[in-house]
Amino acid sequence: MKEELIAYIKSELIGDDTMEMNSEDDLLTSGLIDSLAIMRFIGHIEATHEIKVAPQDMVIENFINVDAIADYIQRTKNS
Amino acid sequence: MNYLLTHSITESAKRFPERQAFVFMNRSLSYKELEQQSNQLANLLIDLGVKKGDRVGIYMNRSLESSIAVYGIMKAGAAYVPLDPDAPIKRTQFLIEDCEIEVLITNSIKKRQVKEIIDAKTQLKSCIGFKDGLTINTIPWEEVLQQSEETPSISILGNDLAYIMYTSGSTGLPKGIMHSHNSGLAYAKLSADLYELTEEDRIGNHAPLHFDISTFGYFTGPFVGATTVIIPDPHTKMPASLAQLIEKEQLSIWYSVPLALVQLLQSKSIEKADMSALRWVLYGGEVFPTKHLNALMQIWPSCQFSNVYGPAEVNQCTYYTVQEPPKEDEMIPLGKVWGNTEKLILNQDDGLAKRGEVGELLIRSATMMKGYWNQSELTKKSLYTLRINSTYKKVFYRTGDLVKLDENNDLLFLGRKDRQIKIRGYRVELDEVVGVLSINTAVHEAAVFAITKEGTVHIAAVIILKEEGLITVEELRDHLNQNLPKYAVPETILIGKQLPRTSNGKINHLELEKTLEIEEE
Repeated sequence: MKEELIAYIKSELIGDDTMEMNSEDDLLTSGLIDSLAIMRFIGHIEATHEIKVAPQDMVIENFINVDAIADYIQRTKNS
Repeated sequence: MNYLLTHSITESAKRFPERQAFVFMNRSLSYKELEQQSNQLANLLIDLGVKKGDRVGIYMNRSLESSIAVYGIMKAGAAYVPLDPDAPIKRTQFLIEDCEIEVLITNSIKKRQVKEIIDAKTQLKSCIGFKDGLTINTIPWEEVLQQSEETPSISILGNDLAYIMYTSGSTGLPKGIMHSHNSGLAYAKLSADLYELTEEDRIGNHAPLHFDISTFGYFTGPFVGATTVIIPDPHTKMPASLAQLIEKEQLSIWYSVPLALVQLLQSKSIEKADMSALRWVLYGGEVFPTKHLNALMQIWPSCQFSNVYGPAEVNQCTYYTVQEPPKEDEMIPLGKVWGNTEKLILNQDDGLAKRGEVGELLIRSATMMKGYWNQSELTKKSLYTLRINSTYKKVFYRTGDLVKLDENNDLLFLGRKDRQIKIRGYRVELDEVVGVLSINTAVHEAAVFAITKEGTVHIAAVIILKEEGLITVEELRDHLNQNLPKYAVPETILIGKQLPRTSNGKINHLELEKTLEIEEE
């Protein structure tokens, strides 16, 4: 799942498939993704993983990096 | 006497030494610490050869150190130039060269980008914020804190340059708006007075440093000895976390573009959080969709809501407080001009517009810029001189905004005289996008225009190539991404065969807009 998320971020949100990105890289502080791209990203997560991201779940702890996002998706699926 | 922006820090450090001046995440700087550390930075800058009138760049994401950078640079007698940390490298290089920046203040997060800038051989000599084996002099932040805490003895006058903010330019390149201590401080005084700021206030500063809205948190807050809470980048992207922060920091005044508030509203976390400390919400940069403004005013009934208007060239010039939650189709006025400010509304022939007639708004104010950096022709074109007699004249700034007065003598915004639009509060000259497309050798001609989709403005471009197949849409997008900030890159890019023309041979933008809006539906 993490590879798929990284691939999506690189190609769809940043537009640079060649860049290096690890699952622990900070996505929110670095300026890599702006607030509108985040909205698109959440739409993508909801569609591909068949979950609903509740507005109150849109907190830094859940989206700071790919590790946290994968963890959040897993938790939401299991609940 | 308080006549420089830097005096605000010195004065507040005397009156409220232990009060928080700036807060960022779990860290803060008291006025005493800010006074000391900005002196230390100023002394280091002077050691590095920075002289009065020089320009020093600030290249960092939202951070506590940005406040030390702003005041340290001005205390050294220099002007600070905030560089968009997310802008493409090429654009940042252009800005550094355009205003001849030799010293850059940054942090280790930007190390990779700084390296790219240096590789491109700008005139940069030193970089403060991290230590690294780069070809130029790099100085870690810890070294700043080892300098003398004495106030540098440099004679600075109110009319001297304090900062330069860059904005989109219609000739294809960004232009630098020059402000003096006088104009910056006049803004701080007027806004502190109008919004009744005291040292008890806690200001939520959402805007990045290169956006002129940030002067409220960075200048007006220190002017009264209030606390400015710099909203961290992650919180600007995660509305539920932002709501928690507003509650935790007990913010009393908020100022941002409407979009930040709309996202907060849509996150639904706003109703659960205790935001009772909030007393005044200021918004500016673009129109607030009335549906959302109405909803927000219902949730925060004890808050005042004000529409702030003013191009970066004059900081702010009008104010309007929204009394009742607006109806769906109601237009929120720009309001009336504030103190120390005079307006003119001129028709197409530069004659005074009649009552109720639409015309261009011109502003003369203590908060007005000195001009555009290194662009005397452009400066001249942006000004209008009203001669009173042979020795006395009044100089107004032409805003390019079309307005008229309503029955309450409030100004109403009715559009632009030129091709400037606003994307999320940022100014974009559509002709700058045309200029960037034209430098690509595959492009024969480009038309760039705005279209409205579901109430939101987007940029679209139709491009005619010199030869079919020379370049793909993807490659054109890459080219734009390398030269323009993200918000200015057209969402829709089409390669066409020919452009529709008006009878006198000009590109018919209206027809293009209509065609695309129909297609998008």
